[in-house]
Amino acid sequence: MSNASSYIRIDNVSRRYGAFKALDDVSLDISKEEFIAILGPSGSGKSTLLRLIAGLDRPTEGRIHFEGKDVTELAPHKRGIGMVFQEFLLFPHRTVRENLAFPLRMRNEAKGEIEERVEWVAGILSLSTMLDRYPSQLSGGQQQRVALGRGLVARPTLLLLDEPLANLDRELRQEMEIEIRRYQKQLGIPFIYVTHNQEEALSMSDRIAVINNGRLEALGERQAIYDHPQTPFVARFVGKSSKFQGVVEPDGATVRLTRHDYEFALPSDKTFKPGDAVEIFVKNERFDITPKQHGGAGIPSKVVDVVLRGPFLEYVLETDRGDTVIAVKPKRNDPIPLQERVLLSWNPADCHIFKDGADDARR
Amino acid sequence: MQDANLQRRLILNIPTAFLLLFFVLPLTALVVLSFWQTENYKIVHDWTLMNYTTLATEGAYITFFLRSLVMAVGVSVTLVALAWPIAYFIVRYGGRYRIIFSLLLVIPFLSGEVLRLIALQGMLGPAGLVNGALIRMGAAPLRMIMYSNAASFIAFIYLYLPLVVTTVYLSLINFDFRLAHAASACGANRFRIFTEVVWPLNLSGTIVGFMLAFIPTLSASLVPRFLGGPNGTLYGMSMAQQFGESGTWALGAAMGVVLFLFSAVALAILSYGVDLRRTGFTGLGRQ
Repeated sequence: MSNASSYIRIDNVSRRYGAFKALDDVSLDISKEEFIAILGPSGSGKSTLLRLIAGLDRPTEGRIHFEGKDVTELAPHKRGIGMVFQEFLLFPHRTVRENLAFPLRMRNEAKGEIEERVEWVAGILSLSTMLDRYPSQLSGGQQQRVALGRGLVARPTLLLLDEPLANLDRELRQEMEIEIRRYQKQLGIPFIYVTHNQEEALSMSDRIAVINNGRLEALGERQAIYDHPQTPFVARFVGKSSKFQGVVEPDGATVRLTRHDYEFALPSDKTFKPGDAVEIFVKNERFDITPKQHGGAGIPSKVVDVVLRGPFLEYVLETDRGDTVIAVKPKRNDPIPLQERVLLSWNPADCHIFKDGADDARR
Repeated sequence: MQDANLQRRLILNIPTAFLLLFFVLPLTALVVLSFWQTENYKIVHDWTLMNYTTLATEGAYITFFLRSLVMAVGVSVTLVALAWPIAYFIVRYGGRYRIIFSLLLVIPFLSGEVLRLIALQGMLGPAGLVNGALIRMGAAPLRMIMYSNAASFIAFIYLYLPLVVTTVYLSLINFDFRLAHAASACGANRFRIFTEVVWPLNLSGTIVGFMLAFIPTLSASLVPRFLGGPNGTLYGMSMAQQFGESGTWALGAAMGVVLFLFSAVALAILSYGVDLRRTGFTGLGRQ
């Protein structure tokens, strides 16, 4: 049953609160040295999963194994985990040094060892100059680093991170994303990172587990999750995309949009019956925009706004039917002018097509 | 601008005037009186240290004081030990009834102290509920709780328990219990979560509760008078007698000064002995 590469094994775990299924039959194998993101909207059950792994809550059904050992009934303090919380939850009555030493003291380490480990972790996280301050005297980013240090100092089996960057400003967040990933590679223990922010999940993790309505919606390499979503939910939730409704034409090889005058060839790997209603998701950066006077196929639209996003331009387009679509293109010196009439199209291989109502059928 | 200044001054000055008039002035009068004399129910304006000498040398007063001190420490420590589990239970498991539970604690206050003491007298006295039942069942009555220091002790616990529970409750309800989760994830077991996180972070609230029981117990006069019996005279009761039956007001004033100074010192020791930052106090409220 247990396979060699699964360091952490989550086996058919469910958690119910009365009639409400917070988590429904989730299985997940995590290998050592893996950075896995658990991604889902708020209320999806991702934090419940994290609390179950930490031992702060018990599953209604299913087992959890660490290194082949069943820890399902073990109290949190016996699991050898590190945890970083969204609200940091540093001990306000203890200095940074004491906060960092706390997990070591709880494991009754020798005094010399504690000092050594605190120095070590303070070194990695550049906290050495503020060891004698209290948490209230630190900035948000510094508090976050202390929280990380406290999670890492006692050589945990794994580190659980519960939206650790949600309370930081954008710039700091991006800096910390790189840092956190670096620590994970350096320490060689699995990081389980819970977030509702798909950018964080994509930028840091090796694999992504997408959770929705308590179920594991998708699990895979981040690139695969992004480029080849297996369900409409994943297509909608990961990356920024626009959704269109369509119908498969009688020939079974073409899709025609219901609201727009545009049709494209059904990719050969998709099998739908003629007349099937389908949902089409196109990532914002996968759109082609061509000026209308050039002719060709596409959804007739006009440019209503152009937003500069660093090296990218975000074209806000309004279709003839009044829908708003955002298309992202690399920045050019001659952007398409405002109010220009354009045709919006995409390479059929770049869009994701699902049978209409596929999300509901799974529920 | 001028208006704002005036307003600020008024807001500051009214309580200042109140405190001067009703707190500082009487206290000063008390201190002055304690250095005078009373003879035949008259005040003699001779400056003397005699009152203090009497208090420091006469065995009865030393006994009263030590008895009061032991009583106050015992009562306050017991109250903290009792109040914590009660308050903890209300905060953790009271759910939406928490506020009702905490209001229930106030109900005894609606009746007045004397009434409550008379009720207790009925409970603990020779023919009271407890001993009456014991005698009915053919058992020997509990002499310990009849007009004794034990009876006073029970009364103090009864009187001040709601105060201490309420202060600890208010402290715990503002405590972020997620810190306990954090400690648990850091490897702390239940006992260490309590000693390392929950207790220190609620220490300032607990000290307030302790003092709210300690100071009135130290100077109590009603409880020993109703329940203390022949060997139950406490310092505060003796002080009240100086102002009443014996008419030795100056000695009573000196006892008042001693009590005041002692309470002030106890307060100072507790508040300076505790580094507020070590109780998570930042002066900024909960962040």
